[in-house]
Amino acid sequence: MSIFSFFRSAPRPSAVQAKERLQIVMAHERAGRTGPDYLPMLQQELLSVIAKYIDIDQNKVEVKLDRGGDCSTLELNIELPAREQLKSAMAAVKGAKPEPKPADTADGEAKRSAANGPLTDGGVKKRH
Amino acid sequence: MSKIIVMTSGKGGVGKTTSSAAFATGLALRGFKTVVIDFDVGLRNLDLVMGCERRVVFDFINVINGEAKLSQALIKDKRIDNLYILPTSQTRDKDALTREGVERVLNDLSKEFDYILCDSPAGIERGALMSLYFADHAIIVTNPEVSSVRDSDRILGVLNSRSRRAEQGLEPVSQQLLLTRYDPDRVERGEMLKVDDVLEILAIPLLGVIPESQAVLRASNVGMPVILDEASNAGQAYTDAVGRFLGEEIEHRFVSPQKKGLFSRLLRRSA
Repeated sequence: MSIFSFFRSAPRPSAVQAKERLQIVMAHERAGRTGPDYLPMLQQELLSVIAKYIDIDQNKVEVKLDRGGDCSTLELNIELPAREQLKSAMAAVKGAKPEPKPADTADGEAKRSAANGPLTDGGVKKRH
Repeated sequence: MSKIIVMTSGKGGVGKTTSSAAFATGLALRGFKTVVIDFDVGLRNLDLVMGCERRVVFDFINVINGEAKLSQALIKDKRIDNLYILPTSQTRDKDALTREGVERVLNDLSKEFDYILCDSPAGIERGALMSLYFADHAIIVTNPEVSSVRDSDRILGVLNSRSRRAEQGLEPVSQQLLLTRYDPDRVERGEMLKVDDVLEILAIPLLGVIPESQAVLRASNVGMPVILDEASNAGQAYTDAVGRFLGEEIEHRFVSPQKKGLFSRLLRRSA
């Protein structure tokens, strides 16, 4: 260490940045490499099933497979259309009028997993 | 039983051919009958680095196509007994490198040689895949630099999935890292990845660290494998690496800066 080091705060060495950037990009690439090759197919088929019942935007869908030590998770993240659109879309699918709902938050987006919202519940389960 | 080694890296220009020439020479110096094969079809260069460019008559592709006998294409090194070079073709297209053809030539060579060293081309195309397919050992040549490290990781993935050993479910190809063009001064200044950083990221054992050295260019200028420049750091580092490859325990040299006086250090820091 030279005496000059006392008078200025050392900038972060570029080698440290190199290592961090490599670790991030390679963690991502390795995960992609070890992923099973049926994933795109699975994604396509899942989407076509959901699309049969709900009018979804194919671009607003995320499918992620996380490999853990003792358990792996398949995460499906589908953005549903706004409620009004959803109601009419489902009415068209079921060929019947949707039951009237209490006037709740009108335009809130129904997001996240397909089993969450009351609307999707009704839509999918009643078909059994 | 002969062993097949592939010298590979993914990225170009990191020192595969320099390292292949040095390593093959080192193995031959230890008394092993060694052949080094150039897999870079179309971009022949091992012959220049080994200094036998004017003796090439037939090549690897001629042998694969049955246009020449293996003994006609093999070039015996003039300096070292036990060392042979199999140059590649400069003109033919890469499709000439068929898996069956490569396998046949490697089988013939393995009857005669202790070590078959395959000098891979850059990239992950046919030539590179063929050079690593039959390998027992892989030496991954890497520079302490982001794109080289990333490409090395890609090549490790290819070795683990697309080599013969991987496809047939045999014991995996053994993998060792050869870190080349290492500059301990720049590492100390925080301008270059440390050996340990690269090891942590790639997670394979370290075969050797070859310091950045002017001897490498001097050696290739005259067509002499740098390992024969015994006075140079790089030459000594390759000799050590060959010893480690053969199972000897040799401490790593040239990984920390050479000692400098206080005066010159202060000068450099404030410059």
